[in-house]
Amino acid sequence: MSDIGDQSLISRRRCLKLLVSGLGAGLVFHHVGSAVIAAQNDAARKETSGLTVRVARPLDAETPVGEFASFLTPNDRFFVRSHFGPPAREHIEESQWRLNVGGVVERPQMLTMKSLRQFEPVTITAVLQCSGNGRAYHRPRVPGVQWERGAVGNAEWTGVRLRDVLEAAGVRTEGRHVQFQGADRPAVEAVPLFVRSIPLEKAMDADTILAYEMNGRALPLLHGAPLRVITPGWMAESCIKWLTDIVVREDETKGYYMQTAYRVPKVPAASGLTTDAMVPVEAMPVKSLIVAPESGQNVPVGLVRIQGVAWAGEAKVAKVELSIDEGRTWETARFLGKDRPYAWRQWEFMWTAKVPGTATLLSRATDAHGEQQQARTPWNPGGFLWNGWDRVSVQVNA
Amino acid sequence: MIKTSPQIALFFSAMFMMLTAVSALPEDDLNSISIALGPRAEALILARCSVCHSPDLITQQRLPPARWEAIVDKMKHWGAEISQEEAGLLARYLSARYHSGAPDRLPPLEHEAGLAEPLGQEPASTGPIVGVAGRGAGIFENNCQACHGHEGVGGQGPRLSKNPILQHEDLFWDTVLHGRGPMPAWSSVLSEQDIADIHAWLLTR
Repeated sequence: MSDIGDQSLISRRRCLKLLVSGLGAGLVFHHVGSAVIAAQNDAARKETSGLTVRVARPLDAETPVGEFASFLTPNDRFFVRSHFGPPAREHIEESQWRLNVGGVVERPQMLTMKSLRQFEPVTITAVLQCSGNGRAYHRPRVPGVQWERGAVGNAEWTGVRLRDVLEAAGVRTEGRHVQFQGADRPAVEAVPLFVRSIPLEKAMDADTILAYEMNGRALPLLHGAPLRVITPGWMAESCIKWLTDIVVREDETKGYYMQTAYRVPKVPAASGLTTDAMVPVEAMPVKSLIVAPESGQNVPVGLVRIQGVAWAGEAKVAKVELSIDEGRTWETARFLGKDRPYAWRQWEFMWTAKVPGTATLLSRATDAHGEQQQARTPWNPGGFLWNGWDRVSVQVNA
Repeated sequence: MIKTSPQIALFFSAMFMMLTAVSALPEDDLNSISIALGPRAEALILARCSVCHSPDLITQQRLPPARWEAIVDKMKHWGAEISQEEAGLLARYLSARYHSGAPDRLPPLEHEAGLAEPLGQEPASTGPIVGVAGRGAGIFENNCQACHGHEGVGGQGPRLSKNPILQHEDLFWDTVLHGRGPMPAWSSVLSEQDIADIHAWLLTR
């Protein structure tokens, strides 16, 4: 049997199993349509305990929010999302893998991992979040992976500055956009490749890196080994995994994943309507999550410690507030721990629970530009950028 | 007791049918459509859609008919092996079962106890099945090539030409019929003759 498994997806799944398996059983919400389908999904579910699997193949899984009590999200608990799943191992083995840098540059480059490591290493702590995180809360419903709260995480990324690599190649004056492509491929050729670009300005930012380590360890396969882009403060679809090709261009990348997907109305449109003026998703809007207590948890009357995280893309989080009365009044939470650009900020709020029964905790954050989370996020056709107030209901016991 | 003549009984039953037709809950209608189309639609989902993604991506959606039609259309455009008629059936089934108002957790379909209905049925034969390599090429191209590559040289799925599994027929059949790892089960799509033909053809590669 091993004879068919060695170079196959099957063996890769085993490897995924090792990568994502962890302690405890994660909550898995599947809405299965038939016994046949259910049986198929059971197999995938077992491989990914610890994460909430949304799609078994290609694997899309989110982190249970309780994990966010720690400043850094562990690699094996970090949310997983890709369009086609990881590429075959042989395409990303260090001996085979190359990074090609071309397009409108003076000196096209073909870098090995070894030559890439000659550039100055840098480490950035940054939140990575899927644009569709919270899609399940948009109404009317939007097609796509029905992410709830956990398609986000905070990690330390180590790599080299994209700027240094681009300077080695020499960007010509007409270069305006930088395109990325990974080694992952769709099962069927007619499916468009996942190719995207970012404006040159973001590419040349000293904090935009090509990362080969995540939380001090080699980048895991599910998270883009051997190299991925990290655009701190921006949504994760710009952080291309399994990176093999960088092309400097005069214009934005063509194709489905740049011109159709991952775009939002420039001005919020009425529900159900699309608008012509669509712009690419870029920076993350301000957002907060209540990490503890968890939804449905029992808490005693008296002092209850509410904990959470908040982030605001390229901006700093200025304030986090809590409401116990459906948003009529708000009280300010206290920041804790590390304060690093692009990372999330941990916070706590000591709440005196007085009345037994169900209580709903709401959190909202405000960034340094005064942008504040609203009760709901304006609807958009892709179901992106959800940052409505976070909401957790607990049971107060006498 | 009131005795009713057959004519009156007929009248009442006709009236009853009309009333139920008018006042039937849409939910019931949708449910009937789900049950009627379910076996074939689920077989299509397993065979055609899960070449690229597991069916859970579909079953977590709750969308209006226009959205479902657009999605099926997009997938056909992106290479899903479905005919125009199958696309229509899928859109009707998905709109009925996974509509905007459907609950997050759906009750199982009534046909659940059985497997999805086979798509291509061959007349039952009694003798041993003999694969015909000449037929296998086309069946492979339509069903297997997307993952296993042109001529079975491999792709997302493993290389099949010269793969030792071809010498272990029981394992080969088990894998095709019931799936293995990320490979979906093909028992509801391929007939035994189809599988034998594919096997025969692969042996020539």
